[in-house]
Amino acid sequence: MILNIKNLTKIYDTGTKALTDVSFDVTEGEFLVIIGLSGSGKSTLLRCINRLIDPTSGEIWFNGKDIAKAKGRQLRETRRQIGMVFQQFNLVKRSSVLTNVISGRLGYMNPMWSLTNYTPRSIRQDAMRALEKVGIPDKAYNRADELSGGQQQRVGIARALMQNPRIILADEPVASLDPVLAHSILGYLEKLNKEQGVTIICSLHYLDLVQRYATRVIGLRDGKIVYEGDNTSIRKMTDTQFKEVYGEEAQRMGSGLLGESA
Amino acid sequence: MMEETAKSRFSVPRIPIVGGVLSIIPGLGQVYGGFIMRGVLLFLFIASLYALSLWRMDNAGIDISTYPSYNADDLNKKQEQAFIFATLAILLTTVGYVWNIYDGYVSAGGKPSPALVPGLFITIATLIIGAHITEIDIAKAVNEIGDVSPRLKQILWPWNPDDSAFTREVETFDGVAMWETPCDDTPVKQPTHTEGESYIEIDSVCGSISGLRKPDGSRDEGTTINIKGYDFRPGEEAELVLKPGSVPEFRVVVEGERVRVIPDENGEFELSFVMPNFTIPATATTSTPVEITVRQKQEVGSLKLSEDFWLSFEGIIETLFLALMATIAGLVLAVPVSFLAARNLMSTSRITIAAYYIIRVILNVVRSIEPIVWALIAIIWVGAGPFAGVLALTIHTIASLAKLYSEAIESIDPGPIEAIQATGADRLQTIMYAVVPQVIPPFVSFTIYRWDINVRMSTIIGAVGGGGIGLVLIQWIRLAKYDSVGIAVWMIAIVVTILDYASARIREQYV
Ligand SMILES: Nc1ncnc2c1ncn2[C@@H]1O[C@H](COP(=O)(O)OP(=O)(O)O)[C@@H](O)[C@H]1O
Ligand SMILES: [Mg+2]
Repeated sequence: MILNIKNLTKIYDTGTKALTDVSFDVTEGEFLVIIGLSGSGKSTLLRCINRLIDPTSGEIWFNGKDIAKAKGRQLRETRRQIGMVFQQFNLVKRSSVLTNVISGRLGYMNPMWSLTNYTPRSIRQDAMRALEKVGIPDKAYNRADELSGGQQQRVGIARALMQNPRIILADEPVASLDPVLAHSILGYLEKLNKEQGVTIICSLHYLDLVQRYATRVIGLRDGKIVYEGDNTSIRKMTDTQFKEVYGEEAQRMGSGLLGESA
Repeated sequence: MMEETAKSRFSVPRIPIVGGVLSIIPGLGQVYGGFIMRGVLLFLFIASLYALSLWRMDNAGIDISTYPSYNADDLNKKQEQAFIFATLAILLTTVGYVWNIYDGYVSAGGKPSPALVPGLFITIATLIIGAHITEIDIAKAVNEIGDVSPRLKQILWPWNPDDSAFTREVETFDGVAMWETPCDDTPVKQPTHTEGESYIEIDSVCGSISGLRKPDGSRDEGTTINIKGYDFRPGEEAELVLKPGSVPEFRVVVEGERVRVIPDENGEFELSFVMPNFTIPATATTSTPVEITVRQKQEVGSLKLSEDFWLSFEGIIETLFLALMATIAGLVLAVPVSFLAARNLMSTSRITIAAYYIIRVILNVVRSIEPIVWALIAIIWVGAGPFAGVLALTIHTIASLAKLYSEAIESIDPGPIEAIQATGADRLQTIMYAVVPQVIPPFVSFTIYRWDINVRMSTIIGAVGGGGIGLVLIQWIRLAKYDSVGIAVWMIAIVVTILDYASARIREQYV
C-alpha cells in the first residue's frame, strides 16, 4: 500500500464543503481513476494529496508517514516523489520546453542554482531522455507556447517524469484535448504504470476512457465517495451506477461515450 | 447632460404647485420632488451660466448694473462682442430656466419632463460662453494662414543652403585704427599694418561720444570721424565695427541701417560717421580707447553645419539621456514599489492590504499630476537644467511604471506556479522558474514604452526649463528664428520616429 487516505475533509474559506470524510487506500502499481461531476471534489482530493491544498482534517499516509500536516523540507521531499499533470498543462509558456522539463527536477537541486542559468549536464541529459520518452525531443528548444495542446501535455508528463515519481496525480489530463490525443496521453501514463510501476491517480470525465484504462475506480459526489469498483466491475458498471455518480446528466454524458468505446 | 433621472426618492408624490414655486431657485423644486441629482445639475448649470455671462461683460468693461440697456455707440468692439455673446447665452439659459420651473412643477408630481430639448439649449449656451472665454476666432485663423506660411515653410524645410542649419567659413579683411575719448596728452598708439593688406586712416585720434551731457546742459553731438580706406577688395561691401575698451565689439547702426561702404575699383573709399554713444566702464579713470574697424567678409570653403545645428544636436542628445536616466531610475525604484502595489501578493493580511491601498492612492495621485507640473516643482527644488527634468520624469515614471508592473504581476498565471511547487521546488526556485519568466517580458516591454514616452515628454519639459532640446527650441521660437526651430523640430521628429519604431519592434518580441 503506497497511499492511505483517512477521513479526509476539506472545507474552503468560503464555507464550501468540498470533501467530506473521504477514506480509501491505494496499492502500489494501481491505475486509480476518480470520476464525478464537475464540482464533486476531484481536484480538491488530488490537490490535498500533494498538499497544494491544506486539508481541514484527516490523515494522508504516504511512505509510512502522515503528510497531512507536513511542512518545509519534509513537504518538499514528499512532493518530489509525487508528479502532477494538469488539465491546463500549467507550463511556463515563455520558457523553453527543456527548461519546463528541467523544472521537474528542482526538488532535488540546490535552490541557489536557480539564481544562475546553470543546470548540470546530467540533468539536461535526463530532460532530453524524458522528452524522448514522450516523443518530442525535437521540440526541446521551442518556447512552450509554440506547441500544440497534446504536445504541451506531453511536456507536462516529461516534467513529472523528471521527478522519478512513485505516484503521478493527473487532474483531468485529457479534458482539454480531442479524443485521439486523449488516448495518446493516457497511453503514456499507462506505459509508465505498466513498465515502471508508477502508481497513477487520475480524474477522468468519460466513461469509455475509464473502462479502457482504470484498474480501479472511485466515484465522488458532493465530496463523498459514492462508488468504488475494480477492473471487472467497471466494465459491468451499469447506467444506474453511473447515474449514481453523475446524477441526472448521466444520460447525456454517457450516451456518446459508450458509442465511442464500442 | 441631464439624463432622465430614474425615480423619485419618495414614493408619495409631492404637491406640484409647491415644486413649481420652489424652482424659482433653479433645481429646488426637483429636489423637493425627490430628484436630487437633477436638481443639483439644474442649479449648477443655470446659476453658473448666468454668472459666467455677467462676468464676461464685466470683464470687457461693461457696467452690468444697467444691463441690458446700452447705447450701441458707447460700446467698443470688444464690449460689443461680449454683449452679444453674453446676451445670447442669457436668452438660451432663460429658456432653460423657464422650463426648469415647469419641470419643478411636474417633478413634484413624480413625473419629470423629458430634458432633451432644454438640455440642448443649456448646452448651446455653455458652448457660446466657452467660445467667448477661449477667444475662439475662426476668421482670424483663416485670415492669417497666408502670413504664417513662409514661416511654416522654414520650419518644415530648414535645410536650404542659406538657412541657419549651415554656415561657411568666413575670412575677414580688417582695416583698423585707434581713437580715444576724451582727448588727453598722450595720443593712442596706432596699429602697424603689413604691406599689401587693407588699412584705414582716420582724421582725428580723439574726441567725444554723442549723447553725453555737457556742462551747459546741452547734449554732445559727438565727434565726426572721417575714414579713408586703402587696399580693400574692390566692389565688395565693408562694414564699420567699434570696440570701445572692454565693451564687446558692435556694429554701428544709424537710423536702423548698419554703416556700410563699397570700395572703388582701386580698393579705396571714404566714410564718415559720428561717434555713437556707448557705456563707458565705470572704472575708467583715464580715457577709453576705441578700436575702429572696417571689415570685409568673404565666405570661403564649403557648406558646414552651423552652430544652431550642433546646438540642436547636443540638445537632442541631452534629451535622450535625460529620458534614459529618468527611465532607469524610475525602473529601479518602481520594481520594489510594484510588488507592494500588486493585489495578489498583498492580500495576505490586513496590514498588507492597508499598505496596498495607501500605495495605490499615492501612485494614482502622483501619476495624475502632469510631468510638466513635476518639472516646475523640480526647478524650484534643484534649479533649472537637465537634472530638474530628470527628477520630474523620474517621479512620474515611478508612478506609472509601478502601476503597469503591478498589473503585470497581478495578471500572472498561477497555474505554472502551482505546477513548479508541486515538483517540490522551494520558494526561491518557484520565483525564478515560474514568476520571473512571466513578469520579465511585460516589464521590459513597459519600460521601453516608457522610455519612448519620456523622450517625448522631455522635449516639453525642456521648454519650461528642464534642459534638453526643448530649451533651445523655445528660445528660438521666442527669437522668431524659424529655420532654427525647424532644425530642432526635425531632430525631435527623427528621434521620436526611430524610437517609436524600435520600441514597437522590441515589444513585439516580448509580448
Ligand atoms: N479555491 C476554492 N475556494 C472555494 N471553493 C472552492 C475552491 N476550489 C473549489 N471550490 C469548491 O469546492 C467544490 C469542489 O471543487 P473541485 O474540487 O474543483 O471539483 P472538481 O474538480 O470535481 O470539479 C466545488 O463546489 C467548488 O466550487
Ligand atoms: Mg477539477
